[in-house]
Amino acid sequence: MFRFIHSSDLHIGKRFGNMPEDLRGRLREARHSAISRLAEQARVHGASNIFLAGDTFDTETPTPAMLRQALAEMSQSAPLRWILLPGNHDSLLADQLWSAAGSVVPDNVILATRPETLTIGADVALLPAPCTTRRPGRDLTEWMNSAATPQGAIRLGLAHGAIQNFSEDSAASDVIAPDRATKAGLDYLALGDWHGPVTINERSRYSGAPEPDRFKHDTPGQALVVSIAGPGALPEIVAVETASFSWKTAPLHLLSGDDSAAAFEALLPPAHLRRQTLLRIAASGRVRLSGRTILQAAIAVAAPDFAYLELDGDGLATDCESGDLDRIDRSGALREAAQALLDESSDETRSAVERDISREALVRLFSYCEAMGS
Amino acid sequence: MKLTALRLHNVKRFAGQGVAIENIGDGVNVLCAVNEFGKSTFFEALHALFFQPHTGTPEGVRLLRPYSGGNPVVEADITTSEGRYRLAKQFYGGKLASVIDLDGGRLLAQADEAEAFIGKLIHGGSAGPAGLLWVRQGVTGIERRSKSEEDGEKRVRESLLSSVQGEVEALTGGRRMAEIAAACEEELYSLVTSTLRPKSGGLYAAALDERDKLLKDEQRLSAEVTGLRDALDKRRMALARLSELENPEEGAIRREGISAAEASVEAAKSHSEALKAAEAEAALAVIHHDAAKQALDSFRTALKRAADLREQSTIAQLRRSEVLDRRASAIAENEQAMGEVQAAEQEELEARELLARVDATLLARDAAEQLAGSDNRLKQAEVARTQIEDGEAALAMLTVPEQAVEQLQALEIEIASLRAAHLATLPTLCMEYRAAADLVTIDAKPLPHAEDQSFAGTVRLDIAGIGVLTLRSNRPQQADRTIEDAEAKHRSLLASLGVDSLMTARQRLVEARDRAAELGLARQRLGDLAPKGIQQLHEELARLSALAAGDLELKVDSQQIRQHHAAAQQRVTTTRNNVREALPLRSHADEAVMAAETAYVTIQAELTSLDVILGPEAAREEKERLLLTEANARQTLREAAEMRAAPLRDGAHDLTSAEAVLRRARSVQDAATQEAGQLRVTLADLNGHIRTRSDDAVEEAWREAREKLEVAEERVGRFEIEKAVLDRLRTTLGAARSAARDLYLKPVMSELRPLLGLLFDDISIVFDENTLLPQTVRRNGQDEDVDRLSGGMREQLSVLTRLAFARLLARDGRPTPVILDDALVYSDDDRIERMFDALHRQSRDQQILVFSCRQRAFAKLGGNILQMSDWQPGQS
Repeated sequence: MFRFIHSSDLHIGKRFGNMPEDLRGRLREARHSAISRLAEQARVHGASNIFLAGDTFDTETPTPAMLRQALAEMSQSAPLRWILLPGNHDSLLADQLWSAAGSVVPDNVILATRPETLTIGADVALLPAPCTTRRPGRDLTEWMNSAATPQGAIRLGLAHGAIQNFSEDSAASDVIAPDRATKAGLDYLALGDWHGPVTINERSRYSGAPEPDRFKHDTPGQALVVSIAGPGALPEIVAVETASFSWKTAPLHLLSGDDSAAAFEALLPPAHLRRQTLLRIAASGRVRLSGRTILQAAIAVAAPDFAYLELDGDGLATDCESGDLDRIDRSGALREAAQALLDESSDETRSAVERDISREALVRLFSYCEAMGS
Repeated sequence: MKLTALRLHNVKRFAGQGVAIENIGDGVNVLCAVNEFGKSTFFEALHALFFQPHTGTPEGVRLLRPYSGGNPVVEADITTSEGRYRLAKQFYGGKLASVIDLDGGRLLAQADEAEAFIGKLIHGGSAGPAGLLWVRQGVTGIERRSKSEEDGEKRVRESLLSSVQGEVEALTGGRRMAEIAAACEEELYSLVTSTLRPKSGGLYAAALDERDKLLKDEQRLSAEVTGLRDALDKRRMALARLSELENPEEGAIRREGISAAEASVEAAKSHSEALKAAEAEAALAVIHHDAAKQALDSFRTALKRAADLREQSTIAQLRRSEVLDRRASAIAENEQAMGEVQAAEQEELEARELLARVDATLLARDAAEQLAGSDNRLKQAEVARTQIEDGEAALAMLTVPEQAVEQLQALEIEIASLRAAHLATLPTLCMEYRAAADLVTIDAKPLPHAEDQSFAGTVRLDIAGIGVLTLRSNRPQQADRTIEDAEAKHRSLLASLGVDSLMTARQRLVEARDRAAELGLARQRLGDLAPKGIQQLHEELARLSALAAGDLELKVDSQQIRQHHAAAQQRVTTTRNNVREALPLRSHADEAVMAAETAYVTIQAELTSLDVILGPEAAREEKERLLLTEANARQTLREAAEMRAAPLRDGAHDLTSAEAVLRRARSVQDAATQEAGQLRVTLADLNGHIRTRSDDAVEEAWREAREKLEVAEERVGRFEIEKAVLDRLRTTLGAARSAARDLYLKPVMSELRPLLGLLFDDISIVFDENTLLPQTVRRNGQDEDVDRLSGGMREQLSVLTRLAFARLLARDGRPTPVILDDALVYSDDDRIERMFDALHRQSRDQQILVFSCRQRAFAKLGGNILQMSDWQPGQS
């Protein structure tokens, strides 16, 4: 029985420039601390090795501090063994990175920088396919087919890149053959690059990032604990949570009469989790003028609880009825203006942008009137 | 809409009681009552009925409630184009609103439906003015007001004026519109300038600045990242290249290349030297062979030449003796001819001398003969010359000019004629003697008888015996002078001619002519005798004398001598030609001798030199044989040398190529070393660059900047939307406001103008077309500030404005009651009357309700006088 942790895409050093200033440091730190969380999971599950299938570092030139601290953190977890594969972000082109790492690499860390069979245990052979460049332009796992391993050894593949054209970096031509595990007689192919977990087949998987870095995947950060009884045996795979932050996109569908604030609040996680949560409310459907203002107010109230909270209101249409207009004015020029904006916002001959602007202007007029009282 | 009745119960001071105004008619209706009678209560109740929802208790409702509480009830009967209705509302307890169709007597609507019915009556359209027009002391009644606002005259005045504005505001959105527009603009202009450009210091501008700054950062970092990646690539390539260069196998190959090239250069060099030696040997053999061959050939040629020369020498010798003989004979011939010439010349000389003597003798004889004749002619010539000289002298004495003689003759004739004329004019006297004649003398001369005697001047007649008679002519002297002049001229002419009279002159003239003829003859003679002058004759004479002095005695035959001389000359010529003939023979012979001699000597010299070359005759054959042997031997040697050099030539090593190969091999090695050195330098540079950049984490910074830039761009986008939204709202509000103005205010203005004319004939008021507020007032031709309008005028304007609105609505098919509550407090009676006129004029098609406390003044208003009566709800 051989058991290891399969993870990838730590992206240590990522800076999150698109996040608020005070959150950036925390998010960054969380990436570094993923190392210790992975080690912890390994200990808990009795795994002896941790395979990092590429993109351990976010750039080809991490600062020496970042690199050294990451390696120091790994050495801390000895006798656990770490095997680092160059990915597209930290490909072999980053010779500065790999030569610097090579000079300070701890004993329990192996840099899989060459496509050569690594014997990592009794009867366990690892075939790494390090990324040679950012976009290698070919299937780097090809060599595994003909790689010789000792008779009766477990054959493991370690690779980074797209199986289909869904790479994080959307490079198209250099896809890994989806049936590489079968072709190369691998017991398991540990893949990296995709930040969400994906099962290709029973012997090939993307682990996903241990610590998410975007809203895209909407899955919690996790790693895979893989156990293989022996050559040819199907691997047993268990996903374990490793994330520090939760990135969630919450859909909020509203109908015109709905209590928008209540619907919003129902989406929120328990208060004690909010500090570690980045939440995006993806609103859709329709809402009255007043409902919209209420929703915005509610979000403003809840926001400070969260690491990050934003409203994506692109899918949310604003309804406006005569009663809403009456609240602006029953007659006179003000009412006329409101009516004109409403007409513009539903005038199909205008561009969507213009309609949106008119609708927003109406909402604004409404909120002015509300603020002023009658 | 028209009001026909108004009823209220438990409203304000009418606590627990009801009061009604019935029979409100068309046109002007007046309710006059003292203050605090309750007019304003009616006004407010009416307002609440129409404008306050029955469910609420806003201020307008609360005001209706008496201090004692209870539920205020308001009821009004109205007539519209559709029918007659009763509207009723009860506030507070038992909230109620109803509409009853008076014609059918049935309940038409209740609660919200009733409110909607009322709303339709008063609104009649969202953009129009309210269906009721109110003018109240100080306020319009549809505005919120506080108790304190109604206090104070100043406040009242302002409100009155602004009550016009109130109506305007009802159309243009009023203060809310203004406040909203202001809020909108404030928000907008905190972001942008009035031209919608980002306002400096604003959030929008800050976002833009941030975006630009990040853009710059991003570009800078991007360039740095590119530079870094570039450096990494370069370093990788440099390293690859370096390891290639420093690969030991490659180095060994290069070194092998060099030593192989060196060996081949060495081989090429030694071969080249051997070849050179062989070539030299061969060349030497060739030279030797050529020399031997040359010696043999020369010897043979010399032999042949010697043989030839000997033959030629014999011929030349013969030739020489032949020409020598010829020259000797030529010399002899020549000398003979010369001798003949000398003899002939001698002879000719002698003959010539003899001939000369003969000639001299002949000349002397001739001269002697001529001498006598010449002497004679000389004498004659000298005689002739003497004659000529004498003749000339004489002629010179005689000669007178013939012209002068002719002149003299003419002068004499003139004198004669003058005298004759003179005489004719002179007094004359004539004496006829009777007796003895000559008794009278005249100037001592006898006076002839009977002869006219003229006289001039004074004559004295001496008459013998008698006395002397003196006659005086007494004539002027003039006449005489002409004659005297002529005579003087005559005298001087004669003197000049040297004659005493014309006769003499004529004689001399003839004489001179004779003498001249003689002289001519003498000259002729002299010319014949001595044509070249006498001197020549003298010379001729001297010459002849000299000649004649010669030998006159030689006796020879001159003819013979001459022939002899001619023959001698002929001989000379002949002999000289003979010599000329002989001379070329001689010189030709000389030349031939010289040529023959030269040829012979030349041949001899050559022979001598050949003999030196050839040596003694006996050894010659032997020598030739030796030379031949030598030549053959040399040829053999030469062929052997050629044989040795040929293979060397064929197997030539190209030293140049070998050296080039060596150079290339060495340069490859050098280049490798140099490149390796260069690469290490480059690597050091690149390492430094890369370390710096990666220590800076430039790539991470770049990604961060990129993400920040996205956020900043989003933010800018949001601001742009915000800007667009606010701008849209602002423009829409503005457009709505000005549309309302265009739609109502302008028509109202045109309705207002005639009303103003009705009321004010002494002043004109200019209105602001936008606000409908009085702008300037022109009184007595002077513009005044509108603030100085009197309170009366303000309220009058206010009323007129309402009337104008009402007209507009009526014209629009929506007749509307105008309600005036103490609206003319400050107006003087005159104005009030005019106002009444205006109201009546208006009221033809308009219902007007006037509430006033000024009973006296309003007594003149006329119209329908309204009375208040008690009323209980449910009764009517």
